[in-house]
Amino acid sequence: MKLSRRQTLYVGGGALALAGAGAGGRFLLRKRYAPSPYDDLLVLLNNRDAAAQIGETVLAEVDNFDPKATADHLRTRIAGRPLSAVLTEDTSKGRLVEASGWVLPESLGLICALAAKAAA
Amino acid sequence: MGAFIDARTVSSGTVIEADLAIIGGGPAGISMAMALAGTSLRVVLLESGGMNFDAKTQALYEGSNAGAPYLTLEASRLRFLGGSSNHWGGWCRPLDALDFEERGWLPHSGWPISKKDVDRYFVKAHSLCEAGMLLYDRAADYTQEMGPLLQLGRGGVTTRFFQFSKMRDSVLPTHFGERYAADLKKLPHLSVYLQANVMRLGLDSGGRKISEIDVTTLTGKKFKVKPKAAVLATGAIECARLMLVSNDIHPAGVGNSHDLVGRFFADHPTPRDTATLIVFDGKLAPFYGAPQTVNGAIVRAGLFPSEAFRRSNAVMASSITVENKLDLDALGKAAVTETARALGVDASDAAAFSLGCGMEITPDPDRRFTLDDARDALGMPKIKLHMKIADADFDRFRQTLKELGRQLLESRTGMLKLNPRTRAEWLDVLDWGNHHMGTTRMSTDPRKGVVDVNLKVHDVANLYVAGSSVFPTYGAANPTVNLLALALRLADHLKGVLK
Repeated sequence: MKLSRRQTLYVGGGALALAGAGAGGRFLLRKRYAPSPYDDLLVLLNNRDAAAQIGETVLAEVDNFDPKATADHLRTRIAGRPLSAVLTEDTSKGRLVEASGWVLPESLGLICALAAKAAA
Repeated sequence: MGAFIDARTVSSGTVIEADLAIIGGGPAGISMAMALAGTSLRVVLLESGGMNFDAKTQALYEGSNAGAPYLTLEASRLRFLGGSSNHWGGWCRPLDALDFEERGWLPHSGWPISKKDVDRYFVKAHSLCEAGMLLYDRAADYTQEMGPLLQLGRGGVTTRFFQFSKMRDSVLPTHFGERYAADLKKLPHLSVYLQANVMRLGLDSGGRKISEIDVTTLTGKKFKVKPKAAVLATGAIECARLMLVSNDIHPAGVGNSHDLVGRFFADHPTPRDTATLIVFDGKLAPFYGAPQTVNGAIVRAGLFPSEAFRRSNAVMASSITVENKLDLDALGKAAVTETARALGVDASDAAAFSLGCGMEITPDPDRRFTLDDARDALGMPKIKLHMKIADADFDRFRQTLKELGRQLLESRTGMLKLNPRTRAEWLDVLDWGNHHMGTTRMSTDPRKGVVDVNLKVHDVANLYVAGSSVFPTYGAANPTVNLLALALRLADHLKGVLK
């Protein structure tokens, strides 16, 4: 079937409108978190809610957890590197934390703990 | 022609003379009797039971425990020809060279012999267990078709292999009594007395030599064996009991002038579900979870602390086994997903497995057997256990598990959850290997051990002990093939001494 120029414009415009609405909808429906001082670190996580759940169990293992100092320490440690590289370094150096028994690279566990603090 | 004699048919008052009396017809006693086949030594083997399980005989093993939770003493061993091989699982693995060494951080460690002293007996011991081709850690050369070894980052835990006693038609490992009865009957200088309960090791008036052994049957027959030498091969519990009850000359019992008989009892704790292993890609070779046949051997992989890790971290030999598959809870799923993503790994097919353990415990003189006031059906004092297990033993094993977790993360192949943490949690999942050890430990120093390097009781000129009761430390290897190697070595020694 051959479309006229007008029909082509209608179909194309409709498609663009639908795509725009979808993207906007996703943006509008996206879960929003209150801003936290650690957002630059929390953005490294896959799922902040799941991470916060893990982080709660990390916090249960740590005495006197200082979020600001921890965040500063993590920023220095990460220094722009991919998180996976930092975690590999953690494990090779034996830097580990336990989260309800789960053995985690320390940096991941601490970011999860920050997620828990941010969600609190 | 060798003979199996029902001791209930022996007239009371009979005196049987022999070059060697072997007390106990379990794997050690049977193997020694067969190892002496080529000699002209007149050997008498005294077995309390018959060819099959009998409840009245088994009840002679009853005892009590006033300490930490442990198995009932009559259920953790069997009292008929073949002994506890009649219910063993067939697991075999030689001890490591490090198990024999004195370790500064481990009190009471150090065998007076090295692994090299027993190495040459392992082939024969392994053959008696019908455990097929001697492969152990070389099994990895033959398992590749089934799947790769679990990839671990460099560190303290590595894959090694157990082997298994041949699983025959009945799908059971070798039962030494049933398997070797015909062979024993062919031995011309051997007499096997069944239903023959040894009640007393009789020392001569000087108290330095066994001169007679009192035997009783459940039907009331009483006779004596007068050997030139005797070997106790009754297992670590009964061995101690017999030495302690034989107290007519020395009040403390035979070979017990330094109050060591019955002390240092040990077993391998086998706590269940000690940890959860996650494999990110869900693929784990089948030889981790169950025995597999390769190149004429039945093998199963375990995860063992390396020698270097044991030395540097002061941990025991405790090994890890992969057990059943598991489902994860919500936190577990979150931990796996977050960790895998952060490591840059796909975990959409991740699988979880429960981990078991064969734990080595610290030698402890206060984990001991003493005699009870209660008596068995033959009038012999029952045995009383004071069981102990130290928190440090759990903590040390947890260190090894944590190292495995670290290595899994480093290799990005998986991760680990540590399960029991508190003492109560450990005790809640605790089981035992039925591996009785240590009650007549070996040492060159009579103040530190009951038997010497030749397994001769220090105080007694002609009494020897065969079995895992002589182990000063315990390793994580199943004891049977190791105690057989020592028993075969003792048989060689006796050939020289008694010729």
